[in-house]
Amino acid sequence: MSNFKKINMLTRVEGHGSVELIRDGDRVVGASLNLSESPRLFEALLVGRRYDEIAEIACRICSICSTVHKVAALQAVEQAMGIQISRQTSLFRELAVHGGQIESHALNIFCMTLPDYLRVSGFQELATIAPEQLRMGFRIKKLGNLIQEVVGGRAIHPFNLTLGGMGRVPDALQLQLLSEQLLEIRNDVAASVKYILGLNDVLPQLAIAPTCAVSGGPPLFGDRLTTSTGLIVPVGSAVDWLNEQVELHTSAKISHFNGAVPLAVGPLARLTSSMPAAYAQCFKDASIISSQKARVIELQQSVERSLALIEYLLGDGLENETPVVIVPVQGEGVTLIEAPRGVLLHGYRFDNRGVCSAANIIAPTAINQGAMAVSLKELTEVLDGADYDQVRDLAEILIRCYDPCISCAVH
Amino acid sequence: MRKLRVAIAGLTACSGCQLSLLNCEDELPGLLEQFEFHFFPMACSPALLEGDYDAALVEGCVSMPHEIALLQELRRRSKYLIVLGTCAACGGVAALRNSDERELLRRMVYGQNAVAAETFNPQPLQSVVPVDAVVTGCPPEKDELLRMLTGLVRGALPVSIDYPVCTECRMHENLCLLTERNVLCLGPLTLGGCGARCPSMSVPCEGCRGPVPEANLKETFEIYNQKGFERQTVLERLRRFCPEWKL
Repeated sequence: MSNFKKINMLTRVEGHGSVELIRDGDRVVGASLNLSESPRLFEALLVGRRYDEIAEIACRICSICSTVHKVAALQAVEQAMGIQISRQTSLFRELAVHGGQIESHALNIFCMTLPDYLRVSGFQELATIAPEQLRMGFRIKKLGNLIQEVVGGRAIHPFNLTLGGMGRVPDALQLQLLSEQLLEIRNDVAASVKYILGLNDVLPQLAIAPTCAVSGGPPLFGDRLTTSTGLIVPVGSAVDWLNEQVELHTSAKISHFNGAVPLAVGPLARLTSSMPAAYAQCFKDASIISSQKARVIELQQSVERSLALIEYLLGDGLENETPVVIVPVQGEGVTLIEAPRGVLLHGYRFDNRGVCSAANIIAPTAINQGAMAVSLKELTEVLDGADYDQVRDLAEILIRCYDPCISCAVH
Repeated sequence: MRKLRVAIAGLTACSGCQLSLLNCEDELPGLLEQFEFHFFPMACSPALLEGDYDAALVEGCVSMPHEIALLQELRRRSKYLIVLGTCAACGGVAALRNSDERELLRRMVYGQNAVAAETFNPQPLQSVVPVDAVVTGCPPEKDELLRMLTGLVRGALPVSIDYPVCTECRMHENLCLLTERNVLCLGPLTLGGCGARCPSMSVPCEGCRGPVPEANLKETFEIYNQKGFERQTVLERLRRFCPEWKL
């Protein structure tokens, strides 16, 4: 077959970007990550819309992360409107977010990055050379989606999570069935942890950037940022501290962390701030490829947390609540949450009719751009003398360790 | 049997249509016996177009010059070009302020700074190339995607839907959110095929599948009016996914 056309873009990632290698003669002397996604300008699209439309529109930023965008936006709007949601609603939202985490992590581990370890092009080849692992990954991924469907009504853009509550509260039988399936999936998840931790690294050892994660609430939730450099940043100061700036080579704004060194967010960052002792040994090598290991460990944590959340919900007894009624007021709300790829911030301001006058969304892959640039620089230094194709291949594998979600980053 | 060669591409969007396909966890291994997803950058390396395709499935709206080029390239190489999702069909959420000056919107986000990306108002695929079929939805339903794919194996294109969300909502014997609970539900004007997913869980239809052909606009707006929803409010909601909504 003839008529080739190669498109210069990162593959096996969400969205559009590329790694550009800088050459000096035959030597590769540098690399940069360009997030070339077309900006949909969500922060402008949301201005002028009513408070009760914000979360429905904002969740469209990204499909893989739509549940966590929806929850972040709902929380920010509710905060601005000064309303409290019930414990039941907040437990359901937590459950949906863990469902999203399971789906996203399983997608990354088994479809996006496992091909890097097994040196194949994607899931289609995995179906031939590692069919058991692929099916195992799909079973886990499917359960993550099922959680989002039961709670959110749909795996992508979950409409049943609404302002002040839920459309329809799932019934006890649905939750019991979910719980049974979560118990069953434990075997697959344990096998995945063992399998992924046992894979041979494909990247040279590269330093992990200082890290930053949300804390102060249940897992993945909270009201402050904590860094491995010892800082605690309350939600109210997070936008200023993250300090996003526009740069020419990328459509996603880049965080400058109040002038400090670039920080990394995501699974590894979350685990280094709350690392279970049993897994500490997995990260002894302290290399960026440990992100993969962190992701599969988080998969296990989200399955366990989902089981616990269902137990709380069933223990409390489900109530057929209707959503809290909102009377629009002038106000502002900012929330932090952990998306599968790391820290996510949604902030909105409303006028006294409840019409959005300002919106700000800071997404994990945008935050990670600094850390990814540092990693790329280190990689090209370590690989000095290697040929162009090899550097390019490893640079793309490196970027996939960060599991970039470029629709989110650029939005 | 020869596998069908398929190209799957995402333009300006959230990747949700492509993810809907990857969410067919039970069916994907079987589909691989009938399809070669030859160009599918979101899930497979490398991003290499090669030869001709039996079908190209394209998600997202067009908002950059290189997207026009890719779309035309896919059109040239493919027997069928199939529109995936509401962004590709109508412009979608990204197009909801197409009536405003794009430079103004850009400045609201990026300030006075120059940015690398050259972009224009998001457009549906049909504004650039002829298309053969449309699978709409934000996101599309998995069973619609699977029906479309299995249809392709027989050489058939998906049949377009011509009934509103209300038809399926009635079949489920749901309480009507609009007439009985006075909620702004867009079901009467929105293309069905989703099984009335949202109203079945007491959440009003937000119109994510785009306009139903030959909707009874006059009568529906009369009901909205009786329920106290201003024409402008309804129109704004309708335009969330389809900026071309006109009355």
